[in-house]
Amino acid sequence: MPDIHMKKFVVTRFDPDREEAPRTETYDVPCQSDWKVLDALNFIKDEIDGTLSHRWSCRMAVCGSCGMQVNGEPSLTCKQAVSELPDTIEVAPLANFPIVRDLVVELEGFLEKLQRVKPWIIRAKEKAVEEGTHRQSPAEHEEFKQFSMCINCMLCYAACPVVANEPEFLGPAAIALGHRYSIDSRDEGAAERNEIFRGEGTVFSCSYANECSEVCPKHVDPAAAVNQAKFNAVIDWATGLVLPRGGRE
Amino acid sequence: MARAAHPEAMAPSKPGRTRTAPPQMPPKFPMQGRYRAYTIFDATGLVYLLMGFGVLHAVRALGDGAAAWQAVLAGWANPVYVAFHLLALASVLFVGVRFFRLFPKAQPPRIGPARPPPGPVIHGMLYAVWIGVSVVFVAILAGGIFR
Repeated sequence: MPDIHMKKFVVTRFDPDREEAPRTETYDVPCQSDWKVLDALNFIKDEIDGTLSHRWSCRMAVCGSCGMQVNGEPSLTCKQAVSELPDTIEVAPLANFPIVRDLVVELEGFLEKLQRVKPWIIRAKEKAVEEGTHRQSPAEHEEFKQFSMCINCMLCYAACPVVANEPEFLGPAAIALGHRYSIDSRDEGAAERNEIFRGEGTVFSCSYANECSEVCPKHVDPAAAVNQAKFNAVIDWATGLVLPRGGRE
Repeated sequence: MARAAHPEAMAPSKPGRTRTAPPQMPPKFPMQGRYRAYTIFDATGLVYLLMGFGVLHAVRALGDGAAAWQAVLAGWANPVYVAFHLLALASVLFVGVRFFRLFPKAQPPRIGPARPPPGPVIHGMLYAVWIGVSVVFVAILAGGIFR
């Protein structure tokens, strides 16, 4: 029989049909010693209050669905152990996002930003199938591998003080993904993305708070990607000034 | 609840069919947890601004003759000025250490065919340059060179 500890969960609730603003509701939850915060939320929904809304899916920190503020810290609730937290645990929707209902946030704005950075391989001329696959060495793969580990959990957006104040800012995960493709040896779209990075929502809005990297559950280090993207955007701009045809072949 | 973020933060370009509650700021911003160091880092800009005014004042006094310069030197001996200079020193050290910690990972993996040196090497180079430049300045101020 596992150990049971009573914990108090202060959960943000919001019903867009009936309430003007979010409020909190407190639940006493008998938590097992091996529970994650998500287990407690599921217990609340299954046993105490079936009206609670929250997103989750894989329960193993892969899908990125269950990101929430746990005691003020952006966390994957399937990864955050209840035993590591004090007796009172506050669970709120991710900061910096419009709240749809309870712990569920609006994702559309994020998806639009993600699409803007063209997160796919761009080729000047597509290779014919008969010519075979694009070859890439392990060293070339290693250059971007870290930035391709993002699970789009949006914890980085919830931690970023710039996202909170500049709605146009592309944000950490989107820039990291764009940068991941720009430094991929098979890609030829870096110049296009550099123009996007210098335009509206520019990478230069980032003030290198580094909070995105601190909270990233997959150690993607989006702050590194954003600041590398700044560097490349400047080099690309300067090259365009001094070389014919902007240095493009 | 935390303070409100920008009402348009992370909002879609076209509003959805469901009414939403406005986004909230990160609850620990600006002075709790790790945000404190970031806020202090940004606030040091005010110290540098004031320091800049002080330097401009000193340069102007240099052009106004020996008496004006002596008055500036006498002002710098004031305990308030000494405290401010200590604050400026602490600010520079704080910003330097933070910047040097974060700078290596901001280097792209390649610039054309060239690869930057490993992070610890860049880290060491930054500190070496910082110490070297500081030694040169101390030597100049102590009258060791450019007499």
